[in-house]
Amino acid sequence: MSNPEQPPFRRAVIALNGGPADERIVRLAAELARPSRAELVAVHVVEIDWTLPLDADVAGRSDEAQRVLDEAEAVAEQVHYKIEPVLLQARDVAAALVDEASERRADLLLIGLSYKTRFGGDFAIGRTVPYVLKNAPCAVWVVREPIVEEQQ
Amino acid sequence: MIGGRRPLQGRKPGDRRVVVPRPHSPYFRYTGPGQLTARAAASGPLTARERTWATIRRVLIGPPLASEAEIGERLSKKKALAIFSSDAISSSAYATEEILRVLILGGAAALAFGLHVSIAIALLLIVVAISYRQVCIAYPTGGGSYSVSKANFGRLASLVAASALLIDYVMTVAVSTSSAVEQITSAIPELTDVRVVIGVSAITLITIGNLRGLRESGNIFALPTYLFLGSALLMIGLGAYRILVNGEHGSFSPDLIRQAQETAQPLGPLLLVRAFAAGSVALTGTEAIATGVRAFKPPEARNAATTLAVMAGLLGVLFIGITFLAVNFGITHIDLPERQTVVAQVAARVYGNNSVPFFLFQAFTALLLFLAANTSFNAFPRLAAILAEDGFMPRHFSFRGDRLAFTFGVVVLGAVAASLVAVAGGETHLLIPLYAVGVFIDFTISQAGMVKHWWTRRSPGWRRRLPINATGCVLTAIVAVVVTAAKAPPSLLVLLLIPVLVSIMLLIHGEYEAQTRELHVREDAILPGPHREQRVIIPVNGINRAVVQAVNFGRTIATDVRAIFVTEDTEEGDRLRHRWERQLPNVPLVIVESPYRALVGPVVAYLDVLDAAWPPDKEAPINVVVLPEFVARHWWDRLLYNQSARRLKSALIGREHTVVADVPYRREH
Repeated sequence: MSNPEQPPFRRAVIALNGGPADERIVRLAAELARPSRAELVAVHVVEIDWTLPLDADVAGRSDEAQRVLDEAEAVAEQVHYKIEPVLLQARDVAAALVDEASERRADLLLIGLSYKTRFGGDFAIGRTVPYVLKNAPCAVWVVREPIVEEQQ
Repeated sequence: MIGGRRPLQGRKPGDRRVVVPRPHSPYFRYTGPGQLTARAAASGPLTARERTWATIRRVLIGPPLASEAEIGERLSKKKALAIFSSDAISSSAYATEEILRVLILGGAAALAFGLHVSIAIALLLIVVAISYRQVCIAYPTGGGSYSVSKANFGRLASLVAASALLIDYVMTVAVSTSSAVEQITSAIPELTDVRVVIGVSAITLITIGNLRGLRESGNIFALPTYLFLGSALLMIGLGAYRILVNGEHGSFSPDLIRQAQETAQPLGPLLLVRAFAAGSVALTGTEAIATGVRAFKPPEARNAATTLAVMAGLLGVLFIGITFLAVNFGITHIDLPERQTVVAQVAARVYGNNSVPFFLFQAFTALLLFLAANTSFNAFPRLAAILAEDGFMPRHFSFRGDRLAFTFGVVVLGAVAASLVAVAGGETHLLIPLYAVGVFIDFTISQAGMVKHWWTRRSPGWRRRLPINATGCVLTAIVAVVVTAAKAPPSLLVLLLIPVLVSIMLLIHGEYEAQTRELHVREDAILPGPHREQRVIIPVNGINRAVVQAVNFGRTIATDVRAIFVTEDTEEGDRLRHRWERQLPNVPLVIVESPYRALVGPVVAYLDVLDAAWPPDKEAPINVVVLPEFVARHWWDRLLYNQSARRLKSALIGREHTVVADVPYRREH
């Protein structure tokens, strides 16, 4: 059992995908990190397909990729907390997130999950979250978006 | 490879990732496709001088605020009453004194008429307040006389209203500050000799406070009004009790009666009219609520109208009450042995001279008057900014400074008001004649605008509302004439100043309009690429790295590139030619011998000659004068270098078909 005196984490990696969950997890992470002044690293990974070299200048030229991190920084500023934004290019988003968290010795990885359903109505969790849950060496918190009831 | 970064190896053999640099991050934030928002670092100082100035500004006015930090707080009626009414309510601190100063000329007995005069002014206040309630209802977005007259009468009337308002705001600062200082010196006479210093320092502090982005919505600003109201109403209650129940009365000092008899004028209607004109200063600030309707909580118009009624009622009670006490206690202004205001004497009489409540009352009065001065620091820059946006004032009046305040307007208001206080020697009485004139002109224009508003729109209730504003308009017009005549000749200065300001504004507007017309590009025009030929002229002082860099730059923008060397020494010219032809063979060098040792003149004359030699049937080319410039490392280096380039630049700016391009050469270490 964990010691209640200890802070929940000292360094957390926040995985951002540019979706509506980003703002929620940045706010949540900032509030949780504040008491222990934990370090927050916001990571956005741009997936590069095999037709391009891994170091092709894709994310650097993408306003959208930069905007994801800039907006996260703006949200953190609103709640008066500092985050370190990191932009990555990789072949696989999930592996890059796990590697980044591992290399930075993060003790928490926060990842957002939007509520989507497959054809047929089953909940679709995608492939990033399961990979992270299976491979991340640190604790993983998955923050799922609230289910929006469709208006009848 | 991005930024020279190598891919990082992950935990599994195939998992590699690359960190993408984000060089924009410290300075900009992406807010949309192709859209960046500058961060504080991008607006930061670049040079050592700018850094020093930024540090000074940071200490004085605080760190810069982003536009999104602006608070659009809505005010409750209680808070709005305190904040918007400080100007009007504070005028009760000096209005009685102004009446008594006039009436004393009719002898001590005439002072008894002070009460009648103040009741007449209170009646006028009721009419003005009822008229302005209509403005609140008709213009829920804020009905300053500028916007009312602009909507109903057009440009000229609105500019007259704006000029009168600007004068009014400046006078509010000067009069309120002077009066506040007089309240302080009435309590502590030892400070009388330094009253101008106190006044100017107070205005400086208020200016700095406003440059820091002082917000009037804080509770701290509501406090002085309520402290003054409480202590003044208590004073009136206690004083009235002593007069009406205890039968306590005062008498004027024998000296005063003797002086009054010596200078007595017959108590005729003229003296009463003059006293009325003097006391009408009590109405100043009544329009503030109508101007600030937007700041109220919803329903804005109704809340503003209610607050206006309460304010008028309070002002009436205070003004009549203070005059009643002054008349019955036999108080008028005294200048000797030491200057003490009427309201201070009344407080001394009721609360006891040099008692704690007396000092508290004086402190509250001074605080309220400083707050009244502060209200103009909110209104003046805002009006100036609106005028600047409409093109009637220089554009820098509409630029917001580091702390979101209209810096230029704040500084101009502070400087003008402080100068007025200094010129008047801190004497409120000397400033008053300039004050009420503009206010009543404003009232009249605003009410006339409302009459036109009801007449043309004929909105529900117009038959009832139109006569109210018409009455207000006629009455305030009469008072404007009376006040101007009674306070002449100083009051005529305002009448002179208004057309001067209007003319200046029209002149500025004409200039901006001409510039807009000149720069206008038709919206349907498809703009072709450049079609005029370009030639490059490079004034040189020899061959050096800065010159070579300038020549290379010139070659990138035109094929016709030539260097010009102005010298008084032909041998030096020959030496340079030899070297030039060897080292820069494709760039012609023109050597101009200057026996009169001039540099700028021959270069400009050479350009004229080139232009004159151009075939008249061809469109004139663009002369690009490329100036090699050595970048100095220190401020004192600048004295040593580039003086000729600077002179040349100022001579060429504005020259037809000429572009000046600086090519800076920076030291590598």
